[in-house]
Amino acid sequence: MKLNKKKAKNATLTGLTVLVLLVFVFPFVWMLLASFKTQAQIMSNSQTFVFTPTTDNYVNVFQQYDFLKYIVNSMIVAVVSTLLSLLLGLPAAYSIAKYKLQGLGLVILVARIVPGISFLIPWYIIFSKLRLVDSYAALVLSHMLVGLPFIVWIMISFFEKLPQEVEEAGAIDGCSPHQVFRRIVLPMSGAGIITSSLLSFIFSWNNFMFSIILAGDKTKTLPIAVFNFMSYAEINWGGLMAAACIITLPVLIIALIAQRYVVSGLAAGAVKG
Amino acid sequence: MGYNWINRNLKWLYILPALVFVLVMMLFPIAYTLWISFYEWSMSAITPPAFVGFDNYISMFKDERFLDSVFNTFYFTIVALAAEMVLGLAIAVLFNRTFKGKNIAKTLFLLPMVATPVAMGLVWMLIYEPTIGAANTILKSIGLEPQLYLASMTQVIPSLIVVDVWQWTPMVALILMAGLSTLPTDPYESADVDGASAWQKFVHITLPLLKPTIIIALMLRLIDVLKTFDIIYATTQGGPNFKSETLNIYGYVLGFQYFKLGSASALLVIFFLIVMALTLALIWTKKRLEAEG
Amino acid sequence: MKKKYIGAGTALIVTASIMAGCGGNSSPQASSPAASQAPASSSASESASTGSDKPFAGQTVTLVTANHPWSEAITPLLPEFEAATGIKVKVENYFEDQLTQKLTVQFTAGSETPDVFMYRPLQDGQLFFKNGWVAPLDDYAHKDPEYDFADISPSAINTTTIDGKLAGIPIITERGVLYYRKDLLEQANIPVPTTMDELVEAAKKLHNPGSEMYGFVARGQRSPLVTQLASYIFSEGGDFITDGKASINTPEAVKAMTTYGNLLKDSGPPGVLNMSWPQAFGIFAQGKVAFLTDADSLYTNATDPEKSTVSDKVGFALFPAGAAGSKPVNVTAWSLSINERSKNKDAAWELIQWATSKENVLKAQQKGNPGARTSVWNNPEATKSFPEELVPIIKQSMENGVGHDRPVVVSVGEARDAVGEVVMKVITGDKDVQAAADKANANLQAIIDKDSKR
Repeated sequence: MKLNKKKAKNATLTGLTVLVLLVFVFPFVWMLLASFKTQAQIMSNSQTFVFTPTTDNYVNVFQQYDFLKYIVNSMIVAVVSTLLSLLLGLPAAYSIAKYKLQGLGLVILVARIVPGISFLIPWYIIFSKLRLVDSYAALVLSHMLVGLPFIVWIMISFFEKLPQEVEEAGAIDGCSPHQVFRRIVLPMSGAGIITSSLLSFIFSWNNFMFSIILAGDKTKTLPIAVFNFMSYAEINWGGLMAAACIITLPVLIIALIAQRYVVSGLAAGAVKG
Repeated sequence: MGYNWINRNLKWLYILPALVFVLVMMLFPIAYTLWISFYEWSMSAITPPAFVGFDNYISMFKDERFLDSVFNTFYFTIVALAAEMVLGLAIAVLFNRTFKGKNIAKTLFLLPMVATPVAMGLVWMLIYEPTIGAANTILKSIGLEPQLYLASMTQVIPSLIVVDVWQWTPMVALILMAGLSTLPTDPYESADVDGASAWQKFVHITLPLLKPTIIIALMLRLIDVLKTFDIIYATTQGGPNFKSETLNIYGYVLGFQYFKLGSASALLVIFFLIVMALTLALIWTKKRLEAEG
Repeated sequence: MKKKYIGAGTALIVTASIMAGCGGNSSPQASSPAASQAPASSSASESASTGSDKPFAGQTVTLVTANHPWSEAITPLLPEFEAATGIKVKVENYFEDQLTQKLTVQFTAGSETPDVFMYRPLQDGQLFFKNGWVAPLDDYAHKDPEYDFADISPSAINTTTIDGKLAGIPIITERGVLYYRKDLLEQANIPVPTTMDELVEAAKKLHNPGSEMYGFVARGQRSPLVTQLASYIFSEGGDFITDGKASINTPEAVKAMTTYGNLLKDSGPPGVLNMSWPQAFGIFAQGKVAFLTDADSLYTNATDPEKSTVSDKVGFALFPAGAAGSKPVNVTAWSLSINERSKNKDAAWELIQWATSKENVLKAQQKGNPGARTSVWNNPEATKSFPEELVPIIKQSMENGVGHDRPVVVSVGEARDAVGEVVMKVITGDKDVQAAADKANANLQAIIDKDSKR
């Protein structure tokens, strides 16, 4: 009796999980299918699931456009801006959490509050004076302004929740505050670091508004390249969808790898109890 | 000793680099926006900006389109935020157990968030297309009336909210899942001893303990929802008939389609103040909750 | 008064410092712009035999284009230009809106790049020119007789001329035409409409929403629709602005806007309010609509079998006549210009001259880009790829067409939104169109008045 109830509950939960996944994944299935269709097939609703697939869109994407270059550009900017944001953001978040510097934390958060459009012209003026337009540096710096506040604000709540005793024990063992942070606090915050850097990476990877102004021929990133498939005289839906699939794949792989670390972080937390 | 000096001043050494970076990147843009908001200027290289005092601000509040965009912004934000928090929490709890294929499920679930918004906006535009889109195909197959979605003046904002909820609920869930993983197990054990139901445990233990994380998620989403740009820009550009024009979109139109940099800047300053006020209100709430224990 | 003075002073200082900053960046050898190099270039064309036929060798010219079939046609040819002149060309492509945004930011910041850019003269022309962002091309255009400037259609040149100065060289021209489905008209035994009344009648007859067949489609988004509405207004004998006064509340204009709105309301597919050209062409290409009015330059969207399920059933007709006859728009959609701050204006002109030479306009036109050169239009080779019946319609439209397709003002964006509102009212079923038109007319007049103060 009790066993049956448990089984029923498990089945409901599994059903719910599958349903949630279906809803969230549907547009991607649709996108994937469309990337293998011709323009006319996409436009016809009688060929939603049954159609003769074509790989032309993918061939086009790689032949007409130097997609590999854009992937590398996006990767460099996203990885470097995330790493630098972590380097600046983690100590800052710790300092805010430990020494109750919420006021200064708010100053950092302001960077997220300012509407993005208001940065465009001033930044272009500055970066062109510094001769940094169409450089990785300009893109990295601008993307950091999105990623850094995000990392800081997620990590503050993580650091606040760390039990005081851990740090005290470290101090008794003769660790300086700096060592406590590096050797004890950081390793214990793995899950938070992974979560926040994953988000920071994604924000950078997808950034469109800043990149279009500050990137150029050399440093063009993927989101701008995706827009290459829209032109005045047509929207190449198939090509666009193929490009969207390609743009999503690297992030998907990273999410898959990072997911493991999040899980192991959870496990470590559970062991400590 | 240098080493001691480092440790004594650790709090400043830790926070200063981030603070200096943010200030350096922000001060000029903020000053520039504020300055130009008191001028009328079409960005001309020949005619310099003309000082107009508070005119840009005053005319903003007389501009029906501005007031409508304030309404649209709040309508969009409140509904989207509420839906994302409730759904995000439900999904975080649902996923917070061990089951087969959990890693794959979680990764799939992250997809909407990692996908490029401009590209996804276009995908949704096709889904919502009234005659060939998937949304109406599904409605018709279960015998319901087809709808207009983005092409309807009343349905456009709800339709955009669905896209935002689809895209960002996973992030809320992700943050809340991370929060759930740090909760202590003792209260649950003693609740089990007392014979509490799952719902009671959720309401009396999980929710209160998760409150700080919920507020962090709420705050991060609040700022982003208010500033939503990519998906509206890619699908309706504020239409039909300005019915989905939010403050951010109107600011963009004023600046880059109407070339009125002064008015656009005044709008952005007002917009900034609104977001700032709401964020401060949330932080204040968080503090009060913490003080209550 | 004092306050104003201070304000202007600060403005000047800031503007000056921006300009100084950019000037300071320039590399020392690029200090001799147009003036000193103009003679060099003219002597070069005379003394080509002496071996100095590459006066600009080693210079780099940045070209920013829209994602347009024209760019796709011209980009592969650039190596020829580079080999012939020694000029290196850097090309960047952007989607329409991003192009305007990128250019606006660069020009506002006083950037020296791009040297050459592609833009929409009717949308951005007035503002770009009055803001001092565009270098006048009059002297360049007449320098080389080989270039044959007179061969470029005067009406296209008219579009790119602002305050008597040549602000760009036309590259793409377009006209409003009627697209229709040959098979549907034949089946229903309906002749091809030649007047507006016939079109309204035919669209109604072929409108059968129950079986997902619709009579008519066109752009329904507030701002995008204005350029297509223009052909309706002109054909009824109206205009957006007459003798410097807003005139969209005249009986002619109101009739045109009512016709356009009612066609979409009574014979249009669901969701027209969110349709610009991609959606309108999209639904036409799925074979669900009988009539479409839009620009001829977009014809491949209806006739390319890769994109259209009715590619072999599309017919073209002259824009239906209203009270004033058939008066479609006939405009320059895109042109090439030089950045006023460019350090390599002469090399930049070399590029424009090459790209808009008879030879290259022919090549671009063969790939489906309607250009502006009369000699090319008279060359049967140029229109080989065009649908056969479209060519005479284009030529006729060039003759009776009108040279603008939106209010010619500085604040085009605002003006389009003002005009579009009237059609919105008609589509959503508002009965009092005249009141809406009066209100829109007052708004448009305010925009015109503000312009005159600039």
